[in-house]
Amino acid sequence: MTRFLTRRQFGTLVSASAATLAMPGILRAENTGRLLIIGGGFGGASAARFARINYPDVSVTLVEPQTSFVTCPYGNLILGGKRALSDITHSYDGLRARGVDVIHDRAQEIDADGHRVTLASGDVLDYDKLILSPGIGLRWNAIEGYDEAASEVFPHAWWGGDGSQISLLRAQLEALPEGGVVGLAIPDNPFRCPPGPYERISMIAHHLKQANPTAKILAFDAKEGFAKQGLFENAWAELYGDMIEWIPASGDGRIMRVDPGNKLFISEFGEEHSVDMGNVIPPQYAASIARDAGLANDSGWVPVDPRTFEAEAASDIHVIGDANIGTPMPKSGYIANSTAKTAVTAALAEMSGRPAWDDPVYFNTCYSHAGEDYGISVAATFRLSEDGIAATPDSGGVSLQGDLSEMARTRRLEARYADAWYDSITDDMFS
Amino acid sequence: MSTPRIRLPESASEGEEIEIRTLLTHPMITGVSSDDPRDMLTRFEARMNGETVFAYDFANGSAANPTFIFFVRAAAPGEFSFTWTHEDGQSVSAEESVRIS
Amino acid sequence: MMRQKLLAAAVAITCAGWPLTALGGDADGHMLAQACAGCHGADWGGQGPISDLRGYDHEAFLRAWAEFQADERPATIMNRIARGYSEAEIAALADYFSSLE
Repeated sequence: MTRFLTRRQFGTLVSASAATLAMPGILRAENTGRLLIIGGGFGGASAARFARINYPDVSVTLVEPQTSFVTCPYGNLILGGKRALSDITHSYDGLRARGVDVIHDRAQEIDADGHRVTLASGDVLDYDKLILSPGIGLRWNAIEGYDEAASEVFPHAWWGGDGSQISLLRAQLEALPEGGVVGLAIPDNPFRCPPGPYERISMIAHHLKQANPTAKILAFDAKEGFAKQGLFENAWAELYGDMIEWIPASGDGRIMRVDPGNKLFISEFGEEHSVDMGNVIPPQYAASIARDAGLANDSGWVPVDPRTFEAEAASDIHVIGDANIGTPMPKSGYIANSTAKTAVTAALAEMSGRPAWDDPVYFNTCYSHAGEDYGISVAATFRLSEDGIAATPDSGGVSLQGDLSEMARTRRLEARYADAWYDSITDDMFS
Repeated sequence: MSTPRIRLPESASEGEEIEIRTLLTHPMITGVSSDDPRDMLTRFEARMNGETVFAYDFANGSAANPTFIFFVRAAAPGEFSFTWTHEDGQSVSAEESVRIS
Repeated sequence: MMRQKLLAAAVAITCAGWPLTALGGDADGHMLAQACAGCHGADWGGQGPISDLRGYDHEAFLRAWAEFQADERPATIMNRIARGYSEAEIAALADYFSSLE
């Protein structure tokens, strides 16, 4: 796996000798390291690709149980009938071709002191630096009655997995009786992909508008407000009439219990809502591997150094993606992709001689499809402040608001840009 | 005024701390930042067996749809009453009971 | 000076993306550019309707960025993002993208 400088690179270096003196890492090419990455999603796959391109001397191993990756982003478009599962399924072959050692197994246990990870197969991997990008765990039974078995009746479809959850939700939508009721239970913050539930509502409505126009969507929310709320509510009114009803916590929208057998959602104040199908997005925390390793705090998420993403609880373990506490950055694929690169740079700084990024700047872009040719977005830029990460003032914000008659071109463009974003970021992970 | 929503357990063991949640849908319009006529609650009060166990006086900063979550130790069977009083003097009440098991 | 910087940048690219900071620059163009790949294509080669940033003319880049910041250039999202960057960071991005082939 070790690669040394090619002759061409070496030649370039000699001819620019003044510059090479400032780049001691290049001259220590034989000083290789072992970078282990757990989790092959937006954080982990991005880290693997970035590490192979920028640190050719470092061996990169990626552990991921799924043999192909189904993205959560664009899963909602399956519900809307605009994508098929194969469109959002990605192979690890591209990373293999770049020299990443991809192991399809489940990381079972991290020995932080011993710098080794035990896999479900019993194999043990040693590392110098660990990038942990395990994603979320679902808090089963945080909503009473919502356990793994209940998710076969009321799918969550909140992780990609093998695609079965989003496929089940789509199948239920197709089988919905005429004029039926679709219930959604949406959690309080923080959770993966803040605008995701509302794009989902939109894509369900997009499907129903054509297939089952008298159906109703009841969206029960444990919050008082949500990402891009004004834009979404405009879109819903413009495109779907009164099909969608959003019920905030103050309208008794917090779902506390579900009864999958009788297809009931039971609210905080005891109201029973009968649904024909239900999508329950339960409260979340960092995936079990991170919690079991003692990296998470009482919130269930992992506190990290905002400059390096190294876990506060263990050295040489950098935790990226939805599992960490990156507030005020959202738990988005975009942030996972960007911060993966910072984490790799920080993790390998000592070995490579290439300095860590001391003054990182990030931006997040979250696109949502609210209908046909109807894209909306929110953006924000972030940088370090004295109190950790902070949003940069006077930047970011949501798409222009206004009537569809005036905004049609903007919405159409943003739908195109959303598609390009998807292709671009998945290339940046897997190509 | 709208119908109050109350959540508490039907029964509790003696000495147990029970959680009570209340929600009243109300716009709480101060009339300060808009021309809409003022429409504000002034007080929320929870009583157990006639004795006040929790009370709150609303002010201009109070948000719409006031929600309270508070805890009470159940020493004996409790007859609870909850009252929201409007600035205009009208009020709305709800009653619930908790058994000791 | 600019010439030297560009030469350094070119070396940086050939050597697996070594950044300007390693050579004493102000902001880390190579790292700043990473987030752009989320939309502008892996390796910044453009994606669908989104522009190719490789070899972007230095002056044109600075001009475009300033126009985004001032809402003087048609945009959906770049105006919102552009306003979050300092002059040194924008200059580092211009150096970096103009140096890519």
